[in-house]
Amino acid sequence: MPNNKYKLLVVEDDRSIASFVHTVLETNGYQVLTTERCQQGLLMLTSHRPDLVVLDLGLPDMDGEEFIRTARQESAVPIIVLSARTEEQDKISALDLGANDYITKPFGTGELLARVRAALRNNRHNSHAAAPGSVFTLDDLMIDYDRRKVKVGAETIHLTQTEYNILAFLSQYTGKVLTYSAIICAIWGSLDEGSVKKLQVNMANIRKKLGCRPGENRYIVNELGVGYRMLDVQE
Amino acid sequence: MSKTNRLLADSGFTCLVLLSAFGLNLLLQNQFQTPAMTPMIFVLGVFLVSWRTQGYLWGIAASLISVIAVNWAFTYPYWAFDLISPECISSAVAMLIVAILTGGLTTRLKQQEKLKADAEKERMRGNLLRAVSHDLRTPLTAIYGACSAIVENYDGLSRETQLKLLKDVQSDAQWLNRMVENLLSVTRVDADTVRLSKNSTVLEELIDSLLLKFHKHYPDQKVHVEIPEEFVCIPMDAMLIEQVLMNLLENAIFHAHGMKNLWLRVTVRDRKAVFSVEDDGCGIPPERIDHLFTGLLGSEAPTDTGRSNMGIGLSVCSTIIKAHNGQIKAFNRPKGGAAFSFALEMEDRKHAEQ
Repeated sequence: MPNNKYKLLVVEDDRSIASFVHTVLETNGYQVLTTERCQQGLLMLTSHRPDLVVLDLGLPDMDGEEFIRTARQESAVPIIVLSARTEEQDKISALDLGANDYITKPFGTGELLARVRAALRNNRHNSHAAAPGSVFTLDDLMIDYDRRKVKVGAETIHLTQTEYNILAFLSQYTGKVLTYSAIICAIWGSLDEGSVKKLQVNMANIRKKLGCRPGENRYIVNELGVGYRMLDVQE
Repeated sequence: MSKTNRLLADSGFTCLVLLSAFGLNLLLQNQFQTPAMTPMIFVLGVFLVSWRTQGYLWGIAASLISVIAVNWAFTYPYWAFDLISPECISSAVAMLIVAILTGGLTTRLKQQEKLKADAEKERMRGNLLRAVSHDLRTPLTAIYGACSAIVENYDGLSRETQLKLLKDVQSDAQWLNRMVENLLSVTRVDADTVRLSKNSTVLEELIDSLLLKFHKHYPDQKVHVEIPEEFVCIPMDAMLIEQVLMNLLENAIFHAHGMKNLWLRVTVRDRKAVFSVEDDGCGIPPERIDHLFTGLLGSEAPTDTGRSNMGIGLSVCSTIIKAHNGQIKAFNRPKGGAAFSFALEMEDRKHAEQ
């Protein structure tokens, strides 16, 4: 029987969490491989070529960051990191090392599935991204990349060049958390002391222009202290 | 205080006291033409030094210097040394005795104070542990019970019953998680070695992130939000402040009986952002208002309120705000209902405008 399911690798040492993640993913139509060790995970990465990796940062045999670094040398497979709440700094460094997303423990099945779907879809997108004439839509937000125009409903939104660049950049990675430094490097090219503040001010203007109220942001989620994430269409 | 700082402060203090004693004596000698006050003033100086500094060293040093100073400047022959006179030796002995006794007394006093503070801390910790164990056991019992009910009667229970039991397990687990987050915050703030990770945080983003989480847990509770239009940046440990606000909002849900409206307000007053959470529920009983934040209402009073989480939640709030150099206040609104408020320093404006 041909198997065209997505293949997911779960690297997690806690049996209960691994079993619950395994069950959830399998019942939702993914083929799931699990391992408790990073070393073995790296071997499976080369031998099984999974479409996505779910990685716990605190594994006994190897630092999770080391895993990401090694994995990134040979493949661009999306990596979703599982982390505890108190490890903000770890989250940021994992993202900057090339992890695609993180999920804070404890998490529900809905959250896990949404992130997995988003990461898989992004991976597909990026392979043939920014085709000419392409248009991004999310709810009633519309971005026309060719004409650099943004609309909410029927109303055209007037953004400055920087604001547009930020919004377009976020929209290319829907569902993925982009760290402050990642966005800054993409927009301004280099990082200096005041640039996070510059980004935050621009984001505040974007929110205002898109008509977002606190608690009712329909497009962009603030990941406090980490970065921003554009919502995925299916969330 | 670090060791070098302590050393600097002590030596500085000693010099200051001795110099002022010397100056005062010169002044008095000129004024009254009699050396009668001189030893008294130096003894007072030695006493002050032994009292305010750490250990014996500074007191003894001060007494020796004083003896030399008295001998040199204030006894015949003036401005010359005469160290072997019996007068000089006896005054030196007296000064040394004062220094050693005072030093010994104050050291013992300080030790006692430290012991007392340690004991108090230990007592608080004990109370916290007791309250926590109690509060953790309740939902754990419920989770364990529900799960065993399902495992043991899997075929006997209807689908609806199973689903209901599982939903209870889910909400109990969420409650446990929030509890653990509170505890983690306390240990993070409590440990003297760990400092807050203060980052400049955009107020609007904080409130947005908070409301998102709040609505996830309580989708039916509407919150009236009033925040300033301008771009406000506040240096804070965002995760902890978010938790304070979350605890306050949750507190209203659990305890403000008859509440119809819930407000979250932030106003800017003299470079300070004043946060307040207000409700129009039943208010806080006046006899409890004074020790609301001292925590652990449950530790002395019987904890029959079930899983209130309030004692811990509010003392966590107070600890976190204290760590941000602020103070949290609770009061009853004149129109009815309870209000909690605290203020945080804002960032310099010139930073905020690019």
